[in-house]
Amino acid sequence: MTRRIAGVGLGLAAAATLSGDLRVVAAAAAVAVLSAVVLDPPVARSAVGVAAGLTVALTAAAAGAAVALVEGPARGLLMAGGVVGRVLILWIAAGVLGRRVDADRLVGGARRLGLERLGLVLGLALNALPRLAEAAGEVWMVHRLRSPGRWEAIRRGPRIAEVLLANAVRIGDDAAGAAALRGHGGLAHPRRPALEPPAPVVVVTGPPGCGKTSVIESAAAALRAQGSWPVGITQPGVYARGRKVGFLVRDLATGEEAALAQMVERGKGEHGTSYRFSREGLDHAARALGRAAAGSVLVVDEVGPIELRGDGHMPALRRALATPGLTAVVLVVRRQLVPTLLAALVATEVTLVDVEEDPDSGADRVLRAIAGTG
Amino acid sequence: MIDARAWTRAALVGSLWGALELSVGSVLHLSRIPLSGMVMSAIGLACLLTLRRLSPVPGVCLVAGAVALVVKVFGIGGLFPGPLIGIGAEALLVELAVTALPRGAAAAMAAGALVFLWGPVQKIAMVRIVAGQDAIDAAIVLGGRAAAAAGLGGVAAGWVVGAAVAALVTVGGIAGWSAWRLGGRVAGRLGVER
Repeated sequence: MTRRIAGVGLGLAAAATLSGDLRVVAAAAAVAVLSAVVLDPPVARSAVGVAAGLTVALTAAAAGAAVALVEGPARGLLMAGGVVGRVLILWIAAGVLGRRVDADRLVGGARRLGLERLGLVLGLALNALPRLAEAAGEVWMVHRLRSPGRWEAIRRGPRIAEVLLANAVRIGDDAAGAAALRGHGGLAHPRRPALEPPAPVVVVTGPPGCGKTSVIESAAAALRAQGSWPVGITQPGVYARGRKVGFLVRDLATGEEAALAQMVERGKGEHGTSYRFSREGLDHAARALGRAAAGSVLVVDEVGPIELRGDGHMPALRRALATPGLTAVVLVVRRQLVPTLLAALVATEVTLVDVEEDPDSGADRVLRAIAGTG
Repeated sequence: MIDARAWTRAALVGSLWGALELSVGSVLHLSRIPLSGMVMSAIGLACLLTLRRLSPVPGVCLVAGAVALVVKVFGIGGLFPGPLIGIGAEALLVELAVTALPRGAAAAMAAGALVFLWGPVQKIAMVRIVAGQDAIDAAIVLGGRAAAAAGLGGVAAGWVVGAAVAALVTVGGIAGWSAWRLGGRVAGRLGVER
């Protein structure tokens, strides 16, 4: 009870620092000291220690001198007295509060306030600090090695910020991916119903241009040679003068192609992209995905941001995934979208194949993953 | 948010910001290096605008600010209110600017200008709290006397304040623009924007 009264007293004393009446400030300072004696004696001792004394004296002297110069010594002295009281109160309040704050209390407090996600974020942030520090140490070491002179070190300075931020984001993305893989959905917030494949899933990933489509087509050919039945789509790029200018959609079962998307002027694309999509291409893809049947291996290259927002091929993909008896589902996705896809998948068996690790063995790894899941 | 990445990125970028406030901020503060507040503001801008560029989700800057605050609370400097208020205000101002304006460099520049203008506002507010209105009045009178002694007595106080505000807006705008560009470079490095 006494501690509770002391806590309230300290809060009121902190609020009283806003008062212009010096008698109120003096009374509040006395209350703050008494509260500190009850709540946290070491803070009360520190408030009358050398460090606090110097801080209070310097602040009071500076403010008092300024006022004394303008309004006379008497007014300056009063002002200095007020500053002593206010700084003392703030010192005590900050000390008592600071010694009561710990990571568990903060995370728990956020959860008690109904801020579950903020609690999880704070937990992740505090746990990730050692990893961030390790990454920062490595970045600094590389910076020093690559910058022999002082001028070179200064010139390359901004690169440190870039690498540090990229590292932080990468660690964050890894954490999101790991949480999705383990089925922790506390931070995920799917806006649409999740995907529920009736078969084990192989997710093929890698950076743009690493050969994901080639790997998938080789794997589909090998599946056909083994007597399996791959159905679905691939979306090879269309290039002009070495630049990607569009996409085709290829029916894996028949090999028939249709134009799917064409690059247009900036700002004239659809779905926030620089491409315009053709109705025929989307219908062609829907027909290809509609060939999914019991015993087939459903292949989709690729599930992009448009699909993950519920547009593009997603309606047809949902219908295909509702097919009972699929042997396996192979989904191709860019690396940065893996967490999003995993968060949307309701599947207990997911195998990740990163093509970039070894592009030559990509098709074999996909086949092994399908065999392993089946 | 469709997936957890905006949250986890906010956690990590906020954590990085808080750690930089703890280390670089403390060193600058204890070394009494001039304009250290501006340096720390620029670092905060770089973190927040990069985060917002990579995850254009409303509220993400506030989450990063909350994380940086928590990390700073555990710092060796203890619970000094000034930097904590500064971190919270910076996160709020950047969030306001980039939410209210269309996504792009202009919003980033506005965020930078607001953040740099906040520094003096916070300092004046802290002086008002600790020393009262008399100290503010005395500082204004002393500033006038100093201007007169320097031969600037004829210059209206409004012009001086206006020039200071213009300088802060310019420097803040440049810092915001640089931070936005940095965000673009980080996005390019991660292959997020194309």
